[in-house]
Amino acid sequence: MRWVIGLIAAVAVLIALPLVVESAFAIDICIRILLFSFIGVAWNLMGGYAKQLSLGHAAYFGLGAYTSTILQINYDISPWIGMVAGGCVAMLASLPIGWLCFRLRGPYFTIATIATAQALMLIFLKFRDFAWGAEGTTIPNLGNAPLMMQFEEKAGYYYVVLGLLALALAINYKIEKSWMGYYLVAIGEDEDAAEAVGINAPRIKRDIYLISSFLTALAGTFYVQYIYFIDPATAFSFNVSIEAALVSIVGGIGTLWGPVIGTVLLETTSALLQSWLGSGIGGIQLTIYSLILMAVILWRPTGIMGYFYELAARRRARLVKA
Amino acid sequence: MADALVIKKLNKRFGGLRAVQDVSFTVRENETLALIGPNGAGKTTAFNLIMGFHRPDEGSVTAFGTEIVGMRPYQVCAQGLARTFQVAKPFGGMTVLDNVMTGAFLHYRNPEEARDKAREVIEFVGLSARESTAARDITTIDQRRLEMARALATQPKILLLDEVMAGLNPSEVDQAVALIDKLSGSGLTIVIVEHLMRAIMAVSKHIVVLDHGQKIAEGNPKDVMANPEVIRAYLGSYAHSPNGGVA
Amino acid sequence: MVGTIIQAVINGLLIGGIYALVSIGVTLIFGVVKIVNFAQGEFVMIGMYISFFLSTQLGIDPIVSLVVTMPVLFVVGVLVQHFLIRRVLGPNDMPQIFLTFALSLLLLNLSLMLFTANYRTVHTWYSDEAFHFAGLYVPYAKLIAFVVAMALSGCLWVFLRTTDLGKAMRAASQNRDVASLMGINPDRVFAVAFGLALALAGAAGSLLMPFQSAYPFVGQVFVLMAFIAVVLGTLGNVIGALVASLLMGIAESLGIQFVGADSGLLVVFVMFLLTLVFKPNGLGGGKAR
Repeated sequence: MRWVIGLIAAVAVLIALPLVVESAFAIDICIRILLFSFIGVAWNLMGGYAKQLSLGHAAYFGLGAYTSTILQINYDISPWIGMVAGGCVAMLASLPIGWLCFRLRGPYFTIATIATAQALMLIFLKFRDFAWGAEGTTIPNLGNAPLMMQFEEKAGYYYVVLGLLALALAINYKIEKSWMGYYLVAIGEDEDAAEAVGINAPRIKRDIYLISSFLTALAGTFYVQYIYFIDPATAFSFNVSIEAALVSIVGGIGTLWGPVIGTVLLETTSALLQSWLGSGIGGIQLTIYSLILMAVILWRPTGIMGYFYELAARRRARLVKA
Repeated sequence: MADALVIKKLNKRFGGLRAVQDVSFTVRENETLALIGPNGAGKTTAFNLIMGFHRPDEGSVTAFGTEIVGMRPYQVCAQGLARTFQVAKPFGGMTVLDNVMTGAFLHYRNPEEARDKAREVIEFVGLSARESTAARDITTIDQRRLEMARALATQPKILLLDEVMAGLNPSEVDQAVALIDKLSGSGLTIVIVEHLMRAIMAVSKHIVVLDHGQKIAEGNPKDVMANPEVIRAYLGSYAHSPNGGVA
Repeated sequence: MVGTIIQAVINGLLIGGIYALVSIGVTLIFGVVKIVNFAQGEFVMIGMYISFFLSTQLGIDPIVSLVVTMPVLFVVGVLVQHFLIRRVLGPNDMPQIFLTFALSLLLLNLSLMLFTANYRTVHTWYSDEAFHFAGLYVPYAKLIAFVVAMALSGCLWVFLRTTDLGKAMRAASQNRDVASLMGINPDRVFAVAFGLALALAGAAGSLLMPFQSAYPFVGQVFVLMAFIAVVLGTLGNVIGALVASLLMGIAESLGIQFVGADSGLLVVFVMFLLTLVFKPNGLGGGKAR
């Protein structure tokens, strides 16, 4: 009961937040936190639970971004529809990509995912007739047009991405509690043992890749609508792939709230750095991120959530003894 | 009794090594067959061939009349075959209960039902006290029990046990023998790879002996133990001395 | 037409020699320590910056500066292995992948902060000189780099075949237990393997400097190439990595020549993906079933 009340209170605070906070900078940071939490949750479904450590999720982010933008600019179709279309394109793309990459295990799976995402970026860089080439394009500003996913106030974007995150968390929760969640963790622990108890590992991996890439593509559409600009370097940015994995690992790999907590920590750190040092020094954000990542891996490989679980387990053990 | 598992002319090479050569044997329903032989005789390879972890170069394996060569391990499992691994492979981060539930999900997709079924099996193997401990934190022996429980949770008709008694002390061996008897009593067909003669004699009336990948003897325990080929295989380096036969 | 093809093949072969130094390092670490070093390219970058500063501050020729970059990076490698890698060795992939990945990010972004994103170039007397032969054009700088790269690869091969430590490494790359049975301290073998791999990366950096600008992202191109070459050449195999690297260099160069200047990498990726389709079993990913 207590956690239900807590959840309702948290949701109320999150909904009220844009009404109270006036600083555009602060809202922007909140939007970034929600967006990367969302991408992190999408990554974590496959990377965290099933331990298929992809560093190529930018592929789906980019496909989502390009699908909705092409539909909007060339065919006047609303990005709301484009967003779902982008998700479907990403799912379609994940089938051959997964078919290739899942032949490899461990670090070579990771490398193969990097290679596919980079190859996609190169394709979009090269074909200018198809999608504006390397220069990219700006997305026409229609003023306040909620039906075209454009808002005058940043609060509008805030609610969109809050909704996306809620959706992803709900999906994640459902999966975690079902047979699928158990199967994913089993595959992540030991694929041979998983197959021996009747788990169709290739199919489960394919299915979770479909879900993960669909969600990641939604984030791509949202992001280009938010910044009104698209080019291959932005849409297929390696940083998206990195951050998706990073927030999950720092927060707690294979846990529902891990990516959210990881994003809050990393994005807040980065925002603080920016306000102290300005954005003049290139590389400082990722320098700090990589130091945090190394520290987590060396001392807390289960992430912040894992640490909480350990504490809780220890407290339970003490209660049992007493 | 009908035939449960029929293995015909199984062959597997790894590079130049003929790991399994023309091995054939039949396991009848509800019997416990022991597969024995010196180290490197091809017992575990035979298990891997039966369960779909390796694909045989030639040969056929049928389970209750269905050809299972060419199936992947999860498909073989769905045919009613389950196995344990020689080196236990628990899902270390999961609790004992969650481990066994992954097996139970094969037939019960509802988590509540799967949990109930898993608890039954955990109790059967005597692990109830460890139910909510992480699998990586239990003893090696408990991990073997866990392997068995997880395999049993898939509700197999044939259970393949790969050296489940290695490293057990005598009273633990007795417990394990009792457990296998209990399983056999419930109608299960069992194939067991084991080194410990005492345990084999206790659980099995039918023994197949492998050496260098080939079947060298088959029959009831007494005949097999008296077979000169078997004695030679087991005595290894003493084989050439004329009076080497200790047995 | 034939001349163009031969010219492209020569260009590719020459750069492939550098790829080989990087991928032999990756494959050595993978074979012996059983991890994939995502930061290998950043060590090439560090080698380049060392050569750059030695050249601009002290006037030392980049190729001569090999004698500094290789030992320095060897020591760095031993330290990295001892203080970082050693702590994450185990059955779990995640910490290994993300530790070296974090190291790569750290080095890249640190150098972005320290050296900025500017391109740094060293001009030597042979930078613009070339050797003309039957209408073909062979730049001295690349030729020297190729010859030295091949010589270093050869030295490593001899080291692995003839010395006790080298044999221990080969044994370790086939079977961890064999090495410890031989009475060799695995920590020492791992540290030397890591050191050698990084020394090769450093050498690649020095050899590149006369004809390639140094900038923080420069290593990424090489490391991707190296990964692909290592997979193509079967993991953990030095000769395989060498041959695959040369082929990758040629493929890239032909791609640049015939598909377009920005297509070299794309051709290589396509090759990689095709290999995954047609040769999946050679690519066990370290844990082949």
